[in-house]
Amino acid sequence: MVGSRSPLLFVFLAIPILYLLALVAFPVAYNILMSLQDVTLGNITSFARPFVGLDNYREVLGDPDFRKVLLNSLLFVAANVIAQLGIGLAVALFFSQRFPGVHFLRGLLLAAWMLPALVVGALWKWLFATQYGVINFAIGSPVHWLADPSLSLASVTIANVWFGMPFSMILISAALTGIPLEPYEAAALDGAGPVQRFRYITLPALRPALLAVACLITIYTMRAFDLIFAMTGGGPLDSSNVLPLFSYQFTFQQFRFGIGAAIGTFAFFIVFAVALLYVHTLRREAVE
Amino acid sequence: MLRLCVAAVAVVWLALGTATAEPKPVSLWHVFNLETDMIYGGIKSFNESQSEYRIDPRLVPANQLVAELIKAIATGSVPDLVTLDNPVVASFSAQGSLLDLTDRVSKSKQIKPDVYFKGPWASGMWKGRILAVPRDANTLALCYNADMFRAKGLDPANPPKTWTELVADAAKLKDPAKNVFGFGFSAMQAEEGVFQWLPFLYQAGGSIDHLDSPEAAESLQLLVDFVKSGVASLDVLNQRQYEVTNTFMAGNTAMVMCGPWELPRLRNEAKFDWRLSLLPVKDGKNIRASSLGGYDWVVPKDAQNPDGAFAFIEFMAQPQIVSAGWNTGRLPPRTDIVIDNPQWPQAYAIYHEQLQSARARGPHPQWPDLSRPMATAIQEAITGKRSASEALTDAAKKIQPILAKTPL
Repeated sequence: MVGSRSPLLFVFLAIPILYLLALVAFPVAYNILMSLQDVTLGNITSFARPFVGLDNYREVLGDPDFRKVLLNSLLFVAANVIAQLGIGLAVALFFSQRFPGVHFLRGLLLAAWMLPALVVGALWKWLFATQYGVINFAIGSPVHWLADPSLSLASVTIANVWFGMPFSMILISAALTGIPLEPYEAAALDGAGPVQRFRYITLPALRPALLAVACLITIYTMRAFDLIFAMTGGGPLDSSNVLPLFSYQFTFQQFRFGIGAAIGTFAFFIVFAVALLYVHTLRREAVE
Repeated sequence: MLRLCVAAVAVVWLALGTATAEPKPVSLWHVFNLETDMIYGGIKSFNESQSEYRIDPRLVPANQLVAELIKAIATGSVPDLVTLDNPVVASFSAQGSLLDLTDRVSKSKQIKPDVYFKGPWASGMWKGRILAVPRDANTLALCYNADMFRAKGLDPANPPKTWTELVADAAKLKDPAKNVFGFGFSAMQAEEGVFQWLPFLYQAGGSIDHLDSPEAAESLQLLVDFVKSGVASLDVLNQRQYEVTNTFMAGNTAMVMCGPWELPRLRNEAKFDWRLSLLPVKDGKNIRASSLGGYDWVVPKDAQNPDGAFAFIEFMAQPQIVSAGWNTGRLPPRTDIVIDNPQWPQAYAIYHEQLQSARARGPHPQWPDLSRPMATAIQEAITGKRSASEALTDAAKKIQPILAKTPL
């Protein structure tokens, strides 16, 4: 039986390949095709549309708003990765302690992650409101969290960190439970303090997991759409806009389908590069 | 003989077939989430009044309807009937995505183009063809808190009639200690922000094809000054229209720009004496103006059942149904309908009068491309990134090439 190329083998191989072709390769190829064409509502149903080469890309790259939004996206992702990893790790370590109600509290934290992003966005818009928001009430000064173009990106980032952190925390928690206890006992006997134990045992053992989590956060936040849509709609003056929302606005509000597709292509290649990195880390983790 | 027999059988069979057949489904997408909206009563009585068609409604959130319709057109499976916000209709009609209703309207006994207000009717026209029929109309007026007027020594029976009075009253009504702003409006980076600024542009004597004029700059400067002086919150940059109304209902804003669709909410939630007034005019110009909004009925080009769809459009155009629209603050788009004993009589009188001076956005196939630069200019001026005239000159540069190709 072993080594015989039964036809069944090809069937099982064909299923995932067809799946990937239909649901991953086709949309990506279709998006790239659209980004090279002049697509209007009138010709959107057919594939044969006027070919415009790289005109859409030229227009997108020449648009100062696009450059602003691209930079916003990169800042948004970087800040999310750093904050979600840092806070997620701290909270995961906290919940790795034994105290009454630890499982319940950890589960409760995850509840935030289960809410729809639009609801979370509406909630944070309320919290950040200048006159009647809780946050300004707490700090006692009327800060325009969402209306000030120099603050709006930071504000949506804070909301997104709150929203995404529990997921990172659960992944890091899982990795923490996988670390054997023996090295800790040995280190304690050798006189290592808590900081040293963290620095020389926990962190190296978590390293592959943290890398994988960082990749996942990048992929998730590159796709962030609903939360910002609900909080600011990308405004004021695109100061809190990110690539997926920008692409949506060109496609569905301006009817510029080719431009929307071209913006989508940029977002795709960034996510794709990070996804490759993620697969690479997973493989290395498996080898180790 | 045989042929005649077959023909006779076929005729009888067809007649029986239609008599006993299930009503043909007509899929309808609409955005009206209040169950008191005329569409619910209309669907019910339409389905009960005849057995040929059955309306299958689907409620789509207003801000997703256009995206859903584009997806439906792209995949080739469109609904039979859709309610579209009137400024976007031209984008669909100019691209040939809608069914031409000209012949059906000319044969219709219910729908007579000349009884409709010019603005709403124009929104459905493209190159002399009729591609949409107005369902309802709306416009903006000034909503004010009469209790606050009294508390500040202003006469609630005498709301601001000019820009000067608006500025003066708003400044008096502002009360930072109580978190109260004098005036509120939406300046979102979206269609809503443009919709709320356009009345000021028209009142100043400006127009969309001359945004680089001093009149246009004056109208934007008015809004800038409201925010700069603290009479309006900087949060207007990020407030949708319903959020502006929220601040009014919460007693945080004394006067707001307000559409009649907010009346059901105001009745249920505003626990104070609120009233409506015509939008003020600019001193010396005396041009009464507002923005025109509303929804049109459209039939997508590849609809399966256009006859059923049009039958329903005709049904919904009956005066008693159109009048019922006012129960949720939807104005009749027709000049020949005056509602007797309307709900909210004071508001009805104001909106009915304001509608006479409401101007349509477009129709223009690239309305979104005109609207976006205006929204940007509004936000640039209010954030102080640029002066009102610089911001508008920039917008004019983006808009004029579009208008040179297809004028408004």
